[in-house]
Amino acid sequence: MATRANPKLIEELEPYGAEDVMKCYHCGNCSAVCPFSADPYVFPRKPMRYLQMGLEDKLKGQLDPWLCYYCGECSDQCPRDAEPGETMMSLRRWLTSKYDWTGISRLFYQSWRWELGAIVLVAILTAIGFTLFGMSQGSLSAYDGPNAFLPSESVHVFDWVLAGVLMVFLLSNAARMWWFTMGRAKDLPTTLGSYIASLWMLPTHFFTQIRYSKCEHKGPWVTHLALMLSYVTMLVLIMFFLTDMASGPAIDWSVHVAGYLATAGLVLATILFLRNRAKKSSAQYRHSHESDWIFLVLILVVALTGILQHILHRSGLDAAANITYIVHLSLVVPMLALEVPFSKWSHLAYRPLAMYLAQVRATALSRARAGGVDPARPGAERHTQVHPI
Amino acid sequence: MTEKRIGVYVCNCGTNIANVVDCDAVAEAAADLPGVVVSRSYKYMCSNPGQEMITQDIRDEQLERVVVAACSPRMHEPTFRRAAETAGLNPYLVQMANIREQCSWVHDAGEMATEKAKDLVRAAVYRVTRHESLERLSVDMCPHTLVLGGGIAGMSAALELADAGKRVYLVERTKALGGNVARVDLTAPYLDSARDMMTDRVTRVIEHPDVSVMLESELEKLEGFVGNFKATISHHSSGEGPPIEVVDVGSVIVCTGYKEFDASRVTHFGYGKLPDVITSFEFEGMLKQGRIEMKDGRLPQYVAIVHCVGSRSEEFHGYCSRVCCMTALKYAHEVKSALPRTYVSDVYVDMHAFGKGCEDFYRRSAEVKTLFLMYGKGDHPVVRRADPGDDCEMLITVDEQLSGEQIELPADLIILMVGMEAREDSEQVTHLVNISQDKDGWFIESHPKLDPVATTTDGVYIAGACQAPKDIPDSVAQARAAAARILGKISRGKLEIDAMFAAVNEDLCSGCRVCNEICPYSAIEFDAETKRSHVISALCKACGACVATCPSAAIEAKHFTDEQIFAEIAGVLA
Repeated sequence: MATRANPKLIEELEPYGAEDVMKCYHCGNCSAVCPFSADPYVFPRKPMRYLQMGLEDKLKGQLDPWLCYYCGECSDQCPRDAEPGETMMSLRRWLTSKYDWTGISRLFYQSWRWELGAIVLVAILTAIGFTLFGMSQGSLSAYDGPNAFLPSESVHVFDWVLAGVLMVFLLSNAARMWWFTMGRAKDLPTTLGSYIASLWMLPTHFFTQIRYSKCEHKGPWVTHLALMLSYVTMLVLIMFFLTDMASGPAIDWSVHVAGYLATAGLVLATILFLRNRAKKSSAQYRHSHESDWIFLVLILVVALTGILQHILHRSGLDAAANITYIVHLSLVVPMLALEVPFSKWSHLAYRPLAMYLAQVRATALSRARAGGVDPARPGAERHTQVHPI
Repeated sequence: MTEKRIGVYVCNCGTNIANVVDCDAVAEAAADLPGVVVSRSYKYMCSNPGQEMITQDIRDEQLERVVVAACSPRMHEPTFRRAAETAGLNPYLVQMANIREQCSWVHDAGEMATEKAKDLVRAAVYRVTRHESLERLSVDMCPHTLVLGGGIAGMSAALELADAGKRVYLVERTKALGGNVARVDLTAPYLDSARDMMTDRVTRVIEHPDVSVMLESELEKLEGFVGNFKATISHHSSGEGPPIEVVDVGSVIVCTGYKEFDASRVTHFGYGKLPDVITSFEFEGMLKQGRIEMKDGRLPQYVAIVHCVGSRSEEFHGYCSRVCCMTALKYAHEVKSALPRTYVSDVYVDMHAFGKGCEDFYRRSAEVKTLFLMYGKGDHPVVRRADPGDDCEMLITVDEQLSGEQIELPADLIILMVGMEAREDSEQVTHLVNISQDKDGWFIESHPKLDPVATTTDGVYIAGACQAPKDIPDSVAQARAAAARILGKISRGKLEIDAMFAAVNEDLCSGCRVCNEICPYSAIEFDAETKRSHVISALCKACGACVATCPSAAIEAKHFTDEQIFAEIAGVLA
């Protein structure tokens, strides 16, 4: 059955950053140099080919873009400057918008004005909401205690409500990702057993990003991991220990040390990434999408306002601390509400999920090939070897 | 027969011969042969010290014959003949024994190889004893040239010669100069206008006092030999002047060009059935008109260019037509610049971008977002009408090689890159000017690498796409190279012709004319008055066909007499 080419698809991908993919003439250097490219996930060449020809359905069914950590080696080796690394990055952005059923992600990635506008809008609404809420609760001059402007218990409840809403979006999108890549592939003999057997991959890849360490340069892995772990630590602190963090002069050092470390990690990593992007220091920083800048700046200002709020609070300047708190929350809420389900933060979920699904899929392919059928390549000769993820 | 004083020289050719053949043993054995007064083995006979060894011996030992056992005579016979000449010995008194190509390179080291080398040397010694001194012929060189074909090659050759002050007769069958290049809009890879290029050439050729342009004319007959041809030209136009003209020329350059492959011979592209499937030349016409459009006047949204139509296929022509790849990229650029919103796809087999600036051109074509789809050699895309509701007129099904997918490509206008093929009348031309064709109909050059514009007929040259598919720069280079060859000959005034040719003993000739027919170089004429055949020595290549054929044994080839050949056989078998 022939697949219809769609020469127009490339234009749809351009706003996501895939500007150079048509330069590719398929020498295969990129796939040869990539430490992860191996049967049955041969990339970047194959997804680049699908993109050039506009095979949208095949692209949507691909896990390959998520298996790339963008070390940039492929782009450095490309004789045509087709930027295979950036193409994979663009495909991740595009896939994110395809997984997202609300269409918000597509708006964000296609125009930074939408993303920034939404952030500003949510920030203003948050500021107004918390100000009104604070005034109904207590006094602006009280940071904690019975008359606190923003009692941490209330903020804590708000956090959990927000987290619940986010999870609905993120999980439904992740379910769509599963459907595109696994669920609708009817001839893929996956079993519940293989889904369970590979489940360990989810936390492993989430917390260690161990595959990233297999790239030739280890530096980016360390920075990337530091940023992610700092973020997750902070998330855990906020979700479970918010009351301890905000609690008055009595310091719970265990929480605070973790908080300081996470804050330092967030600030240093984002500054480092911003600097790399500004200097275009290596292939993966040469092409910055607007969403990349928004993402980093947002985390940085969230961290900085958090620090400022903390200093003001410790210095006893409660009113200033409360105002900073409002500003901080006005940045945290859009960061969580918009970035996690609809923009760059979503890869926190998609990437480990993709690695997990890729393993399940590889196992299934292995089984199919051992049985003499290859759903990936009907008619191809039997292969029993499938590279482990 | 009186014994001659013979010198034998066995070359080691470095290790080429010496590793397999015991050269010293060969030299020692040769020393005992009748007449051999000197016999030596040396590392490189063709080197200056090697040649000096021979010349010295000729002088000191009064050698009358020389045998060099070394490589093929195709390689170094001229070298050793020159050496002999330097020492005052007639060059035809040198014989070579090929103990490299015919011995050391084809045998394993050992006794047998050495024995064979000895046999070959003995044969050469026996033969050379019977050699005769021969004198080379000298003929006049007519400085006029006949150029067949008024395309880019013909005009370039004509201008090169005429600018040197030599008369040129430029014969063109059609009503206008320019040939196929005149049908082209821009040229690859620099997108220069072909028209500008042609206008300048055409004007100069027409206005040049030393070029006689003969439009609507054809060569009817070519007689004579190098330096001394008589060309009979017929004029078809009803204009002034006689219908038949005979001109004297010393050389002929054949620049008859090519014709495009007939796309209707291929059925799966729907050419001739689907209105918007057109050939590259039809598209050139569109470009020259300045409007790229479909038959119904609409602008195409999808343009697809299909490569290798008629070329590189088992069914039609096995060769590559060389210019279509870059022409296709040129179309991609021209479509993109005229219709920026149009999607251009390029359906190719391999991208041949070998010329100067071409790889860069290929890169730039990708940069303007041409979609390249690769189909397999031996396979072919199939075009069909699109279904109602599709946003295109046609669909091309391609087994796409870079993805392994079967792809349906939308198209509104399909351009078939038709290849080049030999003209229908090329065979007729070969008979007229006595040159040969390869299996595809292209004219054959004297040597594919070292003598690319000469032919096996002295004084007849080939240039441009009549020799093989080629682009404008290559055609012009060949044309000017042919002109340079001719100018070289003209500047010497006289032509020297190899002394090896056949001669008819008219006392024995019965006038049967079998030799007239058999001669591949048309070098034997029949004299109706004397009823005898005779050889035009300037045309004869001493192939020996007539000698073997003559029922009266009336023809003898100089340097290849029966006596010499039998002596050689006797030498091998002795």
